[in-house]
Amino acid sequence: MTIRGRSLAGPLLAALACVAVIVTAGGARAETEDCTTPPEMTETDVKLPHLAERLKAHQPATIVAIGGASTIGKAAGSADLAYPHRLGQDLAQDFPDSPINVINKGVPRQSAKQMFERFPTDVFAEDPVMVVWEVGINDAVRGTDVDDFAATLQDGVEELKNRAIDTILVDMQFSRSSATVINFEGYLKALHRVGDLADVYVFPRYEMMRYWSEQKVFNFDDVAPEDRASLAARVYDCLGRKMAGIIQHAVQ
Amino acid sequence: MKAASAPPPPALPRDLRLDFFRGLALICIFIDHIPENYLNYVTLSAIGFFDAAEVFIFISGFTAALVYGRALAVRGTLIATVQVLRRAWQLYVAHIFLFVIFIAEVSYTVRAFNDAMYNEEMGVGDFLEHPHIAVVQALLLQFQPTFLDILPLYIVMLLIFPPVLICLRWRPLVVLVPSALIYLAVQVFNIDVPAYPPGVVWTFNPLAWQFLFVLGAALGLGLTRGRRQARLAQIAYWPALVIAALVFVIRLSWTFHGFWDAVPALFLRHLWPINKGNLSPLRLVSFFALVMLVAHWVSPQARFMRSAAAQPLVLCGRHSLEIFCLSILLSVLGHFLMSEFNAGFSMQVGINVVGIAVMCLTAGMLDWYRAVQRMPVTTA
Repeated sequence: MTIRGRSLAGPLLAALACVAVIVTAGGARAETEDCTTPPEMTETDVKLPHLAERLKAHQPATIVAIGGASTIGKAAGSADLAYPHRLGQDLAQDFPDSPINVINKGVPRQSAKQMFERFPTDVFAEDPVMVVWEVGINDAVRGTDVDDFAATLQDGVEELKNRAIDTILVDMQFSRSSATVINFEGYLKALHRVGDLADVYVFPRYEMMRYWSEQKVFNFDDVAPEDRASLAARVYDCLGRKMAGIIQHAVQ
Repeated sequence: MKAASAPPPPALPRDLRLDFFRGLALICIFIDHIPENYLNYVTLSAIGFFDAAEVFIFISGFTAALVYGRALAVRGTLIATVQVLRRAWQLYVAHIFLFVIFIAEVSYTVRAFNDAMYNEEMGVGDFLEHPHIAVVQALLLQFQPTFLDILPLYIVMLLIFPPVLICLRWRPLVVLVPSALIYLAVQVFNIDVPAYPPGVVWTFNPLAWQFLFVLGAALGLGLTRGRRQARLAQIAYWPALVIAALVFVIRLSWTFHGFWDAVPALFLRHLWPINKGNLSPLRLVSFFALVMLVAHWVSPQARFMRSAAAQPLVLCGRHSLEIFCLSILLSVLGHFLMSEFNAGFSMQVGINVVGIAVMCLTAGMLDWYRAVQRMPVTTA
């Protein structure tokens, strides 16, 4: 648990920290009220052994974030506003002794298969110790055969495992209007099942965003065009922080 | 299958199983196409490795062989060929009709897609960004958005059907051996059929699924012929029963595992995912196991299929093309209602009940209309 105390009020901070721990259950830091999710949503006993080893030895660690438009931060307008950027910032704060480099390899509108085909050039070439694979939106939109989708994911996860790279999968984004016309269910199920079978953590982005949408924390559906980028940036920021919390918890 | 006693020309009484099970498949297609629908847990895909698509294609092959086989025997090659092509044309028109519905849906929801997070990823753009290409590709059966994938397969099957049918009647192995070899080649070499946009493939790989259609046709023809089949079916009964039971237990354990982790998902690690596009042998085998059982347990004129309760399903199956199109429309609508308003239990029950009722009533109406048309005009 790290609470970066800026003030002298030790006891008060400790009390706050307890509250934060209760509220975020495993999330490492006190969050702005925007991002809270039910504790069970981020509960996990995932292990990231290779990353943990690097961090313990105070060695540099490279993380590759491969994915689609939301990885590259298209909706927010810049990769610096996307979740991998925030993830890198938070991890750098948490592990000041290890230079952590998060490389963003998001390319909009790619299927799982197209991303998998990019692995040699975009992932392995960077020699990462961990990969965050955000995947599934394009397959659901295009209606790729669900079983093909699952098989590609399995191949990808397997390959990463063989190369001693830790993996986190990230499932789809939620918005009510897109869920109205696109059938995500089968793809979500397949993605989570691949994670279960391979002991790979699936970051539940869809459930989180659904929760925020239902709790009216964020409204993804009726947004004035000029407000879209800032909303996207806020959501990416939340997601990046959530993920950093989970990783921080997992490597301890 | 029971051997028929009459020679081909006099029409046999219609095999009600074809209508009944095709009707059942259509209802399953409607249910399966609505995401997060609780009824998904009780459709065909919940008891085997296959789903309604296999039933639909198999029975379509079977029926095509029955109908056009008789036409071939009675009215000759030319007429039968023209009849098959006319049917393919009807399917094509239906496909284009569904495509127009798809366009309507996409265009209508374009505004919905203006949401902040999804703007970029929504490749509905395939149509809206390049309509001139997408329309042509749809006409060529190459652009197959969701729901628009099984009719193209059926159309292609009918286009190749006249020579298939002629050869099946002449020397069945001339068709069956190449068909099986192509199917095996797809399994071994993973051959895909490219579609539009680039990188996308035919959802139902016609090179694989043709095998199921041809097998259906072969059985459909055999029905009007000898009784060797009956003996074969007797021998295959027990293995089929064992396979179907095993598959049932395995598949059920997967479903329960989804609800409750403590239930082990048997062989999930080894068997899943089971490829649908290429019609994985697991699907094919488990499907034929069930076909064997149905053939054994249910006679062509079984009483229950003539009961009032079964009538709606039989009618749906009899007008399968119209009801299929309707089911697609209704499931799109159901999905929309559930995500737009609520997906609560009562809403789900309502959507399922109303949807199935509309399908059955429409089938009944179509049947009534057909009967009226066929009635001789008595007065001027």
